[in-house]
Amino acid sequence: MNHAIISCLHANLPATEAVLNDIDRQGIDTITCLGDLVGYGPQPNEVVELIRKRDIATCQGCWDEDIIDGLNACECSYPSQLAERRGHLAHQWTDDQLTDENKSFLASLPTSLRRDRLLFVHGSPNSQHEYLLPDMDAFAALERVDTAGADILFCGHTHQPYVRELRDGSIRVRLQNADHDCDQGEELTLPMRKIVNAGSVGEPRHGSTNATYVIHNDATDEVEIKEVPYDVGRTCQAIVEAGLPKVFAWRLSHGFEFAEQAEDASHVCER
Amino acid sequence: MIERWALVSGLLGDLETYDLIQRDLKKTRGVTSLFILGDLIGPKRNCDALLDRLKNPHRSDLKPDCIYGWWEEQLLAERGFRGERKADALRLSQGEDAVSALLNTVNPSHLNWLASLQFGFIELDCALIHGSSSDVGDNLTSETSPLILLDRLTRLNVNRLFTARSTKQFHLELTGGGINSQVKDLNGKREQQQEVPKRSVIGIGAGAHYTIYDVGSDKTHFLTASSQTNTKGMGFV
Ligand SMILES: [Zn+2]
Ligand SMILES: [Zn+2]
Repeated sequence: MNHAIISCLHANLPATEAVLNDIDRQGIDTITCLGDLVGYGPQPNEVVELIRKRDIATCQGCWDEDIIDGLNACECSYPSQLAERRGHLAHQWTDDQLTDENKSFLASLPTSLRRDRLLFVHGSPNSQHEYLLPDMDAFAALERVDTAGADILFCGHTHQPYVRELRDGSIRVRLQNADHDCDQGEELTLPMRKIVNAGSVGEPRHGSTNATYVIHNDATDEVEIKEVPYDVGRTCQAIVEAGLPKVFAWRLSHGFEFAEQAEDASHVCER
Repeated sequence: MIERWALVSGLLGDLETYDLIQRDLKKTRGVTSLFILGDLIGPKRNCDALLDRLKNPHRSDLKPDCIYGWWEEQLLAERGFRGERKADALRLSQGEDAVSALLNTVNPSHLNWLASLQFGFIELDCALIHGSSSDVGDNLTSETSPLILLDRLTRLNVNRLFTARSTKQFHLELTGGGINSQVKDLNGKREQQQEVPKRSVIGIGAGAHYTIYDVGSDKTHFLTASSQTNTKGMGFV
């Protein structure tokens, strides 16, 4: 059976509607959302209400968490002070706009969802703020999936869709003991695991302005990355009209951003 | 100068044991540094005398460089040094009585010094941490999955991780292996192969069980401080 995974809607209603229409057209009725319903974009209430109305299983994103708990991410989440100021501005605006009901919906979201051997999270199983980039250390990537007890990990947060297969892994170890130096080493065979990043519906950073999401077939394990065009101009205009930083509109209309993410992607702040 | 480190942890306020270790170290040739990887304090005895000695070493002492451990983390959290977090881990595992017992073992005058201790040291290509970079309570042993051990080394980008939380003494080397990875995105597919780097995780022990590490030869010696004059482990060069 095919099911769809969407992430990082970021209060972009035209993009969210376009992606949901695309999924509906294919007759797929299981949809999982990996969070970041709000932030950056101009329609936070509309997007949250659409997800609620459609009753889409959703886990909490980094923006959803910060709106509920207050901005407690350390500066490491932002690459520059300018980016941080813009982030704070968008946070404040979103906080002012969101209704109490929609806030309590965001507060009620779980940090992960599990269906058999599939695990759904926003950033990583460790944190909503950890980036699993496509080129991160392969062993560390495998550790995230394996320690969480999953075969396939679905994540978002990087806004770059990808499918990564980790296989034929092994680690040889040898113990230097206090009592006796045992020379015979041991070899651990590592399991095959997959990471699927759903990209971003409302704030794509993969090089095009199209919204992205993924479809997974749970019988064949095949994954398809989908791109959906939508009316970018409509969202950009709404961003400007809302008084949000114009750079958010510029970014959407160019389809990339200057990697506004932590320099050290594996860094998890210890707040 | 060739460096030789002494690594100690889990003293839990035991000044007598610390004194024995200091005596041992005086008789051991060429020890250049003494690192104390946390758990200076514990819930079972008053820790003030040991803390005084660590802060103001005797003239003949090898000067200790200390970091904080799991017990310091619990105390500091409960005393309000960790924002809203309290000694939750201790409370959960050992109950309310254990928390109040811990509070009673350390005079509040030591709190600022304890709070000034670092989470870990990076020396050369080695990390010295009570647990791991993942958590001060990360309990790494020679039985821990090598995948997790490799992850903890990778997070710090070091070749050796000295850890103390498990109280065990071990020296586990990652000697080989690899992994294939294939990434598919909207630009196509790419293959990548990665080898296991030659790295190791060393458990340094706790209390009277401590470790001497020869930096040049990458050899660990697991020792036990004892009150006997004929100290075992003196034979190595
Ligand atoms: Zn996002
Ligand atoms: Zn995010």
